[in-house]
Amino acid sequence: MLLNVVKSTVLVALASCIMNANDFNVQAEKDRIALIDYTIAKFEDGDKNRDKFFPYSTDDELKNNIQKNVKYEDLRKGNYAFNKQGQYSYNEINEMPPYDELVEKGEELYEDNKALQKCFPDVTVAGDYPYFDEEKKEVVSLTGAINKCLTDAGQKAWNEKKGKMAFFQSYIASETKDAEKKVNIQINSAEAAAAYERGKEFYYTQRGYLKLSCATCHVQGAGKRVRNESLSQLAGHTTHFPVFRLKWGKDKVENGLGTLERRMAGCVKDQGQVPPKTNSKEMKELLYFMAYMSNGMNVDGPDVRK
Amino acid sequence: MKKLYSVIAATSLALAITGCSNNQVTTPTYDNLDERKLCNVSTNGIDSVLKVAQKYNKIAKEHGVEFKRLGMTNTQYIDESIKAIKAGEKKVVLLNKKGKPTKNSVSVSYAVERACKFAVSALTQEAEGKKTWRAAVPGDQFQY
Repeated sequence: MLLNVVKSTVLVALASCIMNANDFNVQAEKDRIALIDYTIAKFEDGDKNRDKFFPYSTDDELKNNIQKNVKYEDLRKGNYAFNKQGQYSYNEINEMPPYDELVEKGEELYEDNKALQKCFPDVTVAGDYPYFDEEKKEVVSLTGAINKCLTDAGQKAWNEKKGKMAFFQSYIASETKDAEKKVNIQINSAEAAAAYERGKEFYYTQRGYLKLSCATCHVQGAGKRVRNESLSQLAGHTTHFPVFRLKWGKDKVENGLGTLERRMAGCVKDQGQVPPKTNSKEMKELLYFMAYMSNGMNVDGPDVRK
Repeated sequence: MKKLYSVIAATSLALAITGCSNNQVTTPTYDNLDERKLCNVSTNGIDSVLKVAQKYNKIAKEHGVEFKRLGMTNTQYIDESIKAIKAGEKKVVLLNKKGKPTKNSVSVSYAVERACKFAVSALTQEAEGKKTWRAAVPGDQFQY
């Protein structure tokens, strides 16, 4: 009798632990689904839903630029999921992508570096970063993991925004894309959930002298026009990095490819604030939140942006 | 009955201690800072406003919310203002993102006032943001 009670108690405790382990991402999942629902509703028919989502857009913009019935699987393309005018030049550029030779450089870096081969025996891992290290209780970004790998092997850390770091990450992204893998961000503990929440708060908080949040442009503002740019949507943002930006590569092709951290630092500067350091806790938690919002989407990097 | 009294006494003591310790760790809030009053050079004088800028920008930096405008951080605004005042200049030359002087300049009082407003606003905005950020989250307070 006593043995039965003990067995039942152990089973209940184990089941409870397993249930709790699965519960840590409940809020994040709610957030992700709500964001996807909002994004799909927004781009269902911009013209028809003008009052709700695009009150200041022109007839021409809504009829000729904002695509209708944008599908979930297209969100990974950033603003090219809905931006009809941008799609034309995007497709033209992608016939001979300017980053191709840089991906090859990334592959060479990998083949010539035993430390990287040891740290990343499987390079189809772009969708698994950032992850929460349960032992160290911190978010690990792909950039941070690569530099740790190098410095642990006695090598010099790479620039976290461009150059070799971006080349190698583009190789990882390309291999992950070819393997048809998806973004797969895990939240398996209360600490990981707390890190996610801090990243979320950073994303949605107004900051800088312009008092803009990331969401002002990329949630509520997604699809709207700023000068000649259609603002991209948060859902799918992290799937296609590193990106080759025409703006970055105008003087030197090698500088055109940049990491997600480089882009986010630029965005925070545009808000009018000194950005967090590329390998800071704030930056990594921000990326962790953003990547979770793209969970389940196909990895689609590297890619081209203006 | 004695046990009950003991429990009540212990609970009261614990609550009192907790209450006291909570009071000790109260962190300052910046919601009520009035940048218009604090940063008015005409009424407060340039030195006083500069001190306000230095005081609050230091905290803004610690909080990771320091302002930056067109490549120039608020710390640079403050430093360049101090240099200009010491040198007896009437203008503060604005810097580019590499920290090099540009062709643009503003008056010293304008630069100091801006630095002060940037420092104070960074903190009031941070305090406000903690109460308002959920209003933009789909599935939370954001309705469409």
